[in-house]
Amino acid sequence: MKNLALSIGSAFPEFNKKAVVSIEKGKEFYDLTYSEIKDSGKWMVMFWWPKDFTFVCPTEIAEFNNHYQDFADRDTVLIGASTDSEFVHAAWRRNHDDLRNLQFPMLADTSKSLASELGILETEEKIAYRATYIVDPQGIVRWVSLYDLNVGRNVKEVLRVLDALQTDELCPCNWQKGEATLSA
Amino acid sequence: MFGIANETNNAVALLKEIGLGEASLSNNLQTLANVDARYLRDLKINVTNALNAETLSKKEAYLIAIAVAANEKNAELQRSFEQFSTQNGATDKEIAEVLSCTSLLSANNVYYRFRHFMHDEFYNNAQAGIRMSIMANPLLGKEFFELVSLVVSALNGCELCVTSHEKTLVTHGSSKQRIHDAVRLGAVIRSLIVLL
Repeated sequence: MKNLALSIGSAFPEFNKKAVVSIEKGKEFYDLTYSEIKDSGKWMVMFWWPKDFTFVCPTEIAEFNNHYQDFADRDTVLIGASTDSEFVHAAWRRNHDDLRNLQFPMLADTSKSLASELGILETEEKIAYRATYIVDPQGIVRWVSLYDLNVGRNVKEVLRVLDALQTDELCPCNWQKGEATLSA
Repeated sequence: MFGIANETNNAVALLKEIGLGEASLSNNLQTLANVDARYLRDLKINVTNALNAETLSKKEAYLIAIAVAANEKNAELQRSFEQFSTQNGATDKEIAEVLSCTSLLSANNVYYRFRHFMHDEFYNNAQAGIRMSIMANPLLGKEFFELVSLVVSALNGCELCVTSHEKTLVTHGSSKQRIHDAVRLGAVIRSLIVLL
């Protein structure tokens, strides 16, 4: 058995999925498409967890939420995702203190089609590994990290990588002799 | 996006990051905030990343920031950084030492820059006649004193001072990354003060 996850340089697949964006009655669900994110010209960070209502997940999700503004400052759309349905997502958000104020959409990959296209499904239970993707505004995957089911992530590391990917030294002061001139 | 409006005032968010309230909103920041200028977010990221550099402790980062605010004469920001540094363990004596160092370096930066400009035997051999006793046994340690001296010298643009303090730091065993991060912090805080 060989797992192959979508990696650096690949185009991030199109998707059209239900997402939970609020716990307010009537405003819970939103049809989220990748084209909307791509058309906005922003970067995307999408992070996956295996199952709603489990222990490691809320801590990690709350930590991403604590840094929501840091992602927004970096022109980055933050998306959380799992293979649970939108109804399970909504119930979990209502049920858990740390999740009520989430500012980013929780994507429901109920058919597992996206997780399967990304190659991040665990074989036994068909649930997603803790995958994190950074996708640039052109829709190209620029960073992937894959953690096993029980290993939590470091959100600051995701921000550090994002900074490194975004910070081009455009200043002419940084030209090295012999280098081609800047064309941006 | 996703039916959620983003109403963050990025100028206010930036001020909050440096311990200042809405009352400190300058005309310059307001001008940028009025058009939701992208630069406000970049500046906030630059400031937080520079203050959180891995090679500097929180206390060291805020002490360097105090030196920059004092050198650039922004009393309000300096007070705020003093509070942050105190919260991170800096004593009143240490803050006073950083301020003394900043003042002394202002003299040295002008004086040695003049020597460096002139390349003249008389000036090079003349006694400076500027008291520098605080350099002898700094509370904060020689290495950190040198680091603050380097940052202030970089701000004030004295080539001789910059190259000399960098050389001393390297012989004290400071990593080049630490030296780099300290100078970057000085540069970024100055860019902040331009808009305050």
